Amino acid sequence: MKIVIVGAGISGLFTAYSLAKMGVRDVVVLEKRYVGYGSTGRCATGIRASFTSEEHIVLMKESIRLWKEYSEGELGRYGLNFVQGGYVWLARKEETVDTFRKLVALHNSLGVPTRVIDRDELRSLVPPLNTNLVAGAMHDPMAGKSYVFTTLRALMKACRELGVRIATGTEVRKLIARGSRIVAAETSKGEVSGDIFVIAAGAGSRELLKTVGIEIPTKNIPRHILTTEPYQRAFEPLVIDWDTPGVPYIVQIIEGNFFIGRDIEEEPEQSIYSQRIDFMPKALKPIAELFPFIKAVRVLRYWIGYYVATPDNHPIYGPVNNFDNLFIATGFSGHGYMMGPVTGKIIAEWILEGRPSIPQAEKLTLDRFERGALVRELAVIG
Amino acid sequence: MGGEMKKKGHPTIVCRCNDVTLEDVERAIEEGCHDLECLRKVLRIGMGPCQGRTCIPIVARILARKLGKRVDELELPTVRAPILPVPVHLLLKSREGEQP
Ligand SMILES: Cc1cc2nc3c(=O)[nH]c(=O)nc-3n(C[C@H](O)[C@H](O)[C@H](O)COP(=O)(O)OP(=O)(O)OC[C@H]3O[C@@H](n4cnc5c(N)ncnc54)[C@H](O)[C@@H]3O)c2cc1C
Ligand code: FES
Repeated sequence: MKIVIVGAGISGLFTAYSLAKMGVRDVVVLEKRYVGYGSTGRCATGIRASFTSEEHIVLMKESIRLWKEYSEGELGRYGLNFVQGGYVWLARKEETVDTFRKLVALHNSLGVPTRVIDRDELRSLVPPLNTNLVAGAMHDPMAGKSYVFTTLRALMKACRELGVRIATGTEVRKLIARGSRIVAAETSKGEVSGDIFVIAAGAGSRELLKTVGIEIPTKNIPRHILTTEPYQRAFEPLVIDWDTPGVPYIVQIIEGNFFIGRDIEEEPEQSIYSQRIDFMPKALKPIAELFPFIKAVRVLRYWIGYYVATPDNHPIYGPVNNFDNLFIATGFSGHGYMMGPVTGKIIAEWILEGRPSIPQAEKLTLDRFERGALVRELAVIG
Repeated sequence: MGGEMKKKGHPTIVCRCNDVTLEDVERAIEEGCHDLECLRKVLRIGMGPCQGRTCIPIVARILARKLGKRVDELELPTVRAPILPVPVHLLLKSREGEQP
């Protein structure tokens, strides 16, 4: 059996890895540019399970279990490193602390150990924080981070050893269907035939699927992020400024750099090469209020990547109604990096065993949009 | 990075900012990193304060030699703002950041 995966991001590579681990000998990954070119190489490296739908929480909990297991095993020896540094959400307003209390109750009921913490505990978790601006905070100790390029390198190495071929510089221009089967991918370097096809092409998935008449409701939304030079360790959690519009965040990645991001108004499909000069000061201002030391730190680079967003902000997983041998893994709406391990596992199970071991994943197939069965958020927060 | 430092007496450093050695680069190429972007991301070459002005030309030559290509046949990594490291307090003075 030959399995063809389109896209060498976190989703495609973990899918290839899981398939190879489950014994598939013939796996090929087709990538138009290079490994990590898409959103994966541009992400903030954060990992958490504290979401507001059962689907996300169940899948992310399993993903975190796998991040840990992988970092202690073969992938860990090759450099994959999950650090359970936690997430901290800051409330600047008193009433936001009440919102946190409601969220904590929901998370706890689904087995995610978030807590509302006071200023003293906050200071010990995030020593350089100016707590005068903060009314309270929510802490997720289960969350963490994993540096993206060491993860990708570990996956490349492990995949190659298992016989997976990764063809970079190979763009898939269209899929070729015969009846209810996809028979080949037409690429910039010729045709590639296969028995099973997995589309994990991130922002490129929608156009590619159109070539066989499949419409997916994703939008590619540009998101901006910058990095400073690396510094000595200052704090481990990813910190989110909840009450400021565009929810600015800061994380000191494992390599020592501070990554700082904030959502600014953006048009979907804008080029990721159209840099916005206003982004840097807009992201830095609220962060510098909270972390005065950051004013002396030097900014190194700024870049843009896509969030591939669906109407209910949950991924599109699994088989497609009209085809027997086509699977999708995209539409992660800004949290596909953390889902990588669970994505790989469930897509591999779907292909080899006919269904995923996590039943919640079956609610995330493409036909949910036709059936009007969008994912239900258990708490809607403003 | 610079895992070779301990084993050998005089490693050849190709990226000073991130302590990457010639052996690190050669090994990554053997592992299948066949373009500068891949090497940059896997080894953090070009991600230091000099943004690769020092090391990218050297790494380009090593890669070209290994692949039997000319340096000008290689795709160069993206150059990103702000080009030179800029302290946050200077960026904060920018009027662009004022809230609408
Ligand atoms: C600024 C920013 C911060 C983020 N922070 C986080 C975070 O903290 N945590 C988190 O979990 N997620 C985060 N995300 C989201 C995360 O990056 C993505 O959800 C995730 O990387 C998606 O991975 P993927 O493998 O599905 O897609 P991608 O990484 O986009 O991979 C798809 C690949 O397919 C290739 N491709 C596309 N079309 C074709 C074609 N026709 N033929 C061949 N190849 C093709 C692309 O080149 C690309 O390499 C962030 C995103 C951004 C932009
Ligand atoms: S020498 Fe390599 S980034 Fe500066």
